[in-house]
Amino acid sequence: MIPVHPETDRRIDELKAGFPHAGSALLPALYLIQEEKGSIPEEAMVYVAEKIGVSPAFVAGVVSFYTLFHPRPVGRHHIQVCRTLPCALRGCGEILAHLSKRLGIKEGETTPDGRFSLVAVECLGACDTAPMMQINDQEHGHLDRAKVDAILESLR
Amino acid sequence: MAYEPLLLRNVGKPGSETIDVYLASGGYQGLRRVVKEFAPEKFVEEVKAAGLRGRGGAGFPTGMKWGFLPKTKDRPRYLCVNADESEPGTFKDRLLIEKDPHLVLEGIILSAFAIECHTAFFYIRGEFHTGYRTFAKAIEEARAKGFLGKNILGSGYDLDLILYRGAGAYICGEETALLESLEGKRGLPRIKPPFPAVVGLYGCPTIINNVETLANVTLIAERGASWYAGLGRPPKNTGPKLYCVSGHVKRPGVYEAPLGIPLMELIQERAGGLVHPDRPLKAVVPGGSSMRVLPATKCDVLMDFDSLIAAGSMLGSAGVIVMDSGTCMVWALLSLARFYAHESCGQCTPCREGTGWFVKVLERIERGEGRPGDVDLLIDVASRVEGNTICPFGEAIAWPVDSYARVFREEFEDHVAHGTCPIGATAAR
Amino acid sequence: MPDPTPPAPNAPDQVGILIDGRPVVVTKGATVLQAAETIGLEIPHYCYHPGLSIAGNCRMCLVEIEKMPKLQIGCATVASQGMVVQSTTERVRRTREGIMEFLLINHPLDCPICDQAGECRLQQYEAAYGAGFSRFTEEKVHFPKRVALGRHVVFDAERCIKCTCCIRFCDEVSGSHELGLFQRGDHSIIGTFPGRPLDDAYSGCTVDVCPVGALTLKEFRFKARVWFLKDVPSVCGGCARGCSVNLATYRNAIHRITPRVNMDVNRHWICDAGRLSHRALDERPRFESPRVRPAPGAGPAGGGPPPDVAHDRGIDAAADLLRAVKERAGAGGLAALVSARLTVEDLRLAVRALAETIGIPRLAVPPHEEGEDDHLLIRKDRTPNVRGAALVGPGAPHAGRVREILDDVTAGRVKGLVVVGEDPVGEGLLAAEAVRSLQALVVIDWWRSPTVEAAHVAIPSCGYGEFEGVFVSFEGRAQRARAALKPRGHVDPVWRILQDLGHRFGLAATYPSASAVFDEVAASVPAFAGLSYRALGSLGAALKVT
Repeated sequence: MIPVHPETDRRIDELKAGFPHAGSALLPALYLIQEEKGSIPEEAMVYVAEKIGVSPAFVAGVVSFYTLFHPRPVGRHHIQVCRTLPCALRGCGEILAHLSKRLGIKEGETTPDGRFSLVAVECLGACDTAPMMQINDQEHGHLDRAKVDAILESLR
Repeated sequence: MAYEPLLLRNVGKPGSETIDVYLASGGYQGLRRVVKEFAPEKFVEEVKAAGLRGRGGAGFPTGMKWGFLPKTKDRPRYLCVNADESEPGTFKDRLLIEKDPHLVLEGIILSAFAIECHTAFFYIRGEFHTGYRTFAKAIEEARAKGFLGKNILGSGYDLDLILYRGAGAYICGEETALLESLEGKRGLPRIKPPFPAVVGLYGCPTIINNVETLANVTLIAERGASWYAGLGRPPKNTGPKLYCVSGHVKRPGVYEAPLGIPLMELIQERAGGLVHPDRPLKAVVPGGSSMRVLPATKCDVLMDFDSLIAAGSMLGSAGVIVMDSGTCMVWALLSLARFYAHESCGQCTPCREGTGWFVKVLERIERGEGRPGDVDLLIDVASRVEGNTICPFGEAIAWPVDSYARVFREEFEDHVAHGTCPIGATAAR
Repeated sequence: MPDPTPPAPNAPDQVGILIDGRPVVVTKGATVLQAAETIGLEIPHYCYHPGLSIAGNCRMCLVEIEKMPKLQIGCATVASQGMVVQSTTERVRRTREGIMEFLLINHPLDCPICDQAGECRLQQYEAAYGAGFSRFTEEKVHFPKRVALGRHVVFDAERCIKCTCCIRFCDEVSGSHELGLFQRGDHSIIGTFPGRPLDDAYSGCTVDVCPVGALTLKEFRFKARVWFLKDVPSVCGGCARGCSVNLATYRNAIHRITPRVNMDVNRHWICDAGRLSHRALDERPRFESPRVRPAPGAGPAGGGPPPDVAHDRGIDAAADLLRAVKERAGAGGLAALVSARLTVEDLRLAVRALAETIGIPRLAVPPHEEGEDDHLLIRKDRTPNVRGAALVGPGAPHAGRVREILDDVTAGRVKGLVVVGEDPVGEGLLAAEAVRSLQALVVIDWWRSPTVEAAHVAIPSCGYGEFEGVFVSFEGRAQRARAALKPRGHVDPVWRILQDLGHRFGLAATYPSASAVFDEVAASVPAFAGLSYRALGSLGAALKVT
């Protein structure tokens, strides 16, 4: 019994065949698993370790190294506020505090209903729109409190 | 005479990311010309003659790097495109990827052709979702039109391009860490030698080039080396350059200019000057956060590789971060120190332990518990990191710590002595 | 005085370099660190280990190399002809001081309770290269301490310097891949995957390779300070591989066994079973003088502990019993089981005394095989001297011959059985009724095994670590096992007991020492020609066998 959908399993096989060395398929495979399951739990790590031909400890090491891989589920709307210098110069601290207050959670936490998680992240390479944030795969820049409120409203 | 953009020539046009718009503006003519008229080695010479220097941060001559590949062809060669743009203050590669991917793609195909590689990888940072989707589409379009795949333009040259997402690690922008990540591992930089040109991806000869560098290759293919070598500030600082301006300016954005534009022109004219009229310029980071900071008094400098080295900093990724007088430099350095501590891969002793130490000392100073000797300590510890690490991340943390603490020493000492920020700067926190 | 010039190489596969002005000639491919070793200069290092790949992450071995602007790591820089290396400049001094400082800022002050004290490179190098004080006054990074990574290995994550030697060992040598590196930056931590502990057969080697006290052996934790331990070089008796080991002794006990480097046998490693083989000395019941039961037929063999007697009385009693059987049933009524765990010297006397002098016609060697040969060191043959038995006698292990003898015991055809170093009763090969039917069960062994308990006469012999003797590995390498301990009571090595027994039947030879026995073997068995204890040295010698 594999812990992923047969379609995911098939796509991972395809990935392996598409690289000169199957080891390269690990990161894309982890993305596929996370896409399907929302996170990468332990049994999925064991599964993908066997698929790729590495040890589960190795996979856990890879998952824990990269910030975009989640061993535990994040909110349905994963709010990532950039906090590095260019955004800090344009007031990201205020944005982060405002979001924390609005959502009722601290940075690093998820709302009890699982809808929102809030993290401060490092430079997202969008410094011309500072202060900015990314929610799942959407970017929102030139933020102020009003804009943040409007975005949150649109996600309710 | 207004500057005619070369790299940004299509940006702003509707559908600029599509192959149709690209072709309509003369796209892929360079590729056609080169595969027909140039043997691969000859195009390497062309890029050497153009004087192109890498646009990722190191400024290493591109043609020379290509020349490091061994002559024997017993193992496959690889080209890896470094689209992991993560240097704070830098957002130029993203612009090209999202708005003119074919300019970059053509450069990739040309470069792969020149170094005789048949499989290339486009390593894009995981956070660039739009860029990933856009580039994937561009690859499909190029394949459909025969610019990618088997027997490109009937030349007999095959090239496969694999799109690969990073997963959130600044260190994967370091070329050997990128290779490790591509191989499916933690992104830990490798010790050099051996260099990637000899032992790279899967142990095979590999060239890693930045996105903007490759876009420049397209220009060289289109109009030739001697034309290119006349742009910018020849002979050693040639070509057009994309500058990213962020921070306390009215118009943060990407601006193209010949290499060597004066920094103040970039800030005042292109980026519209400082955003707060009553707060004069205080400091500028000229090349991404890893480069030494320049005080306002040292900003009368040309933005090319060698001029900035002479001024005590570097062009780096050309990420210009502008700070006005409302900025507390201790706070600014702390922000960067936290970035480096978060992104340190942890492999080697000085960086792993030093980055955390800097954060702790700066946090202590920030909250008013600084002690005499703290500033000297920061400078001394930075000197024990610099030069002693596996990869340039050591310099990337040591240079900011050293330069902020030295250039703004009075402010730092004041902060330590009085336990409060002398600026009283809170707006930007 | 002119600057020294780098030496010219002596051969085309060599290079000559200068290290701190001293000329060094090494084989091509050697690194600066290895070149320095050849002249007795230690370039300090943590993550380098000669048995593992190069990691280059500790940065402690940074040295100055002429013509290179940045310092280079000696562990990874290959020496090239004419290279000029400086390891004592101010730049290097300052860098080492810096590395030491970085390593210690988050390191816990555990020395008073840390097993590694006394053999810890942090201590050694801080004393040699460190500033001697810390400028770090912040809160250290905290990690779990005393994590059981597996059955034998305990991990203190705060002490770890992330050199990755342990991980490289599991990936490159044992192949278990059970250790991983998690997180990044100064929160990096090594560990195992949940539910998959570090339990391969070589887990203890991670403790050896760890340069600090992050990995400790559970069985050794807090047992003894290493500066009290005296290392006695020996060879492991756990299987036919014959790994070179060090027996660390203190107060007449072995506190730990560690591998001794022997590039021809075990390189830098031993298995966990071998590493812990000394525990049997404490765990198994011993006896300190011969035990003699009343005459046969005087009661069931298991009735109460027999009285202890002096050594000579024990030997006499054994001889009397055997003589009686021989007179009544003839020599054919006698048989012997002789172990391949015995030394060459023991086996030599077994043949001389039992077979040639007493005239026991059948001597069989029981095989002891378990599992399979693994990819690294462990042999399925769990005896250390099978080849010794084959070369010196009584012969290679033979299950069939053993079975024959034991069947004859059961059938009553064999009335007198001598068992040396074996436990057929405990292993279920010899049933209680069969034992009862014997008129003479003479047992020589180091522990009070079930066979010893059932014996009419049992003579205690030296256990592992208490005798001098030679084992011959499956590859034909003879190595010395050394006496590191004094046994309690009057306990002799097996060869001397057999010699004493032989004397009761007219054996003339009286060897003064195990060494003398070995010299005699060297003189008479062609495979051992030219050898002696001195010639075997500390790493042993390959026998002349095909």
